[in-house]
Amino acid sequence: MSNEELDSQLSAMFDDELPATECELLARRLARDEQLRGRWGRYAAIGACIRGEHGVRLSAPLASKVSAALTQEAAARAAPATDRRKPGITWVTSLAGLATAAAVAAIAILWIRAQGPVLVAQSQSGPVPNLAAQTKMAPSTPVTATPPGAEQSAGQVAAALTRPRPSREPDSYVVPLAVPQGPALVPPTELANYIVAHSVYSGPLMRRNALSALVGEDAAAPQVITLQPIDATVVTGK
Amino acid sequence: MTADASDLSLVQRVQHGDRGAFDVLVLKYQHKVVKLVMRYVRNPAEAEDIAQDAFIKAYRALPQFRGDSAFYTWLYRIAINTAKNAVVARDRNPVDFDLDMTNNEESYEMQGRLKDSETPEALVLTDEIRTTVNAAIANLPDDLRTAIVLRELEGLSYEEIAATMDCPVGTVRSRIFRAREAIDSRLREVFEGGLGRAEEIG
Repeated sequence: MSNEELDSQLSAMFDDELPATECELLARRLARDEQLRGRWGRYAAIGACIRGEHGVRLSAPLASKVSAALTQEAAARAAPATDRRKPGITWVTSLAGLATAAAVAAIAILWIRAQGPVLVAQSQSGPVPNLAAQTKMAPSTPVTATPPGAEQSAGQVAAALTRPRPSREPDSYVVPLAVPQGPALVPPTELANYIVAHSVYSGPLMRRNALSALVGEDAAAPQVITLQPIDATVVTGK
Repeated sequence: MTADASDLSLVQRVQHGDRGAFDVLVLKYQHKVVKLVMRYVRNPAEAEDIAQDAFIKAYRALPQFRGDSAFYTWLYRIAINTAKNAVVARDRNPVDFDLDMTNNEESYEMQGRLKDSETPEALVLTDEIRTTVNAAIANLPDDLRTAIVLRELEGLSYEEIAATMDCPVGTVRSRIFRAREAIDSRLREVFEGGLGRAEEIG
């Protein structure tokens, strides 16, 4: 399209005498083309001059002011919009926090599970009124699960570990072969059920680790357990 | 041909987020809106401020504009309401001056000065533009001059001008365009640099 044809269209559009389809195309160009808009503004000034309107200028101070005001307004609106994104970020943050908490809980359960035999062995010596006090007295050299002043054979330990499980534990599709007795923090069957039931919500790696730990421990259950020295700070958390 | 099609196409662009299209509408109607507002307020600076407010209100309300009426009718209604509200607000809150200013004559003089936005430079520029445009129109061939005056001064449509001048509508379109081009080129000669320089002067 030649410039003259374009300007002719612009003049007709200014007078609302251009077909709608051509208007759409020209409006798009007019909104982008500064030079064309300048010509449009001069056409308006010429008309205002002919009509004897007040304060005709070739420049467009009013249009500039309106444009500046609208830009300022849009910028002001954009700032709260940035703030509005914060809830989204908070949501992601809380989700990440939840995932972290779940991971910590899973690690804690695995740790308790790993420490289970120790607690069982301790429980065989009777009630533990003060675990912290007991751990303070623990020798620094490795000790066996035998209570002080009494000798226990490996067979006795195995028998104790393979004792029938108490009736308070629910039936389950996952029951460890060896169910340790005594006042464990969490009953093993419940713990196993809990891990299996909730493994569907954990990540693949975590799920595999948890289930491997269960299976591995089940296989090793009948063995005689040798206790390692207990770190008081780990048990009591102090 | 659809009446108001050019405005509607620009309005639709604005509604789709094209701010440049709104600038085009402001350029087209700014003089008319200021002239309209000046029926309510005599002061040109105040009229310009009110016109600016009216355009901003129109921009905000444009998403709700459905094209039931012509855009300029809708815009004029906003401008009139804005002007009326501004007059009411001004009457409620008259401008306060320094209490030390006891001389009433001095106070009126100050008020006049504060409200006068028509700087000498702006007035000279407006006069210069008017002189240039009038001279350019005077130099136009009769058919071009008649066409542009019927269009801009009398507000006739191309069809009405064609009937008046007894020529095809296409010829009217061409005549009006050529008249504008002649005046515009004269304006550009006088105000070299066009819009930018004129803005500096004004």
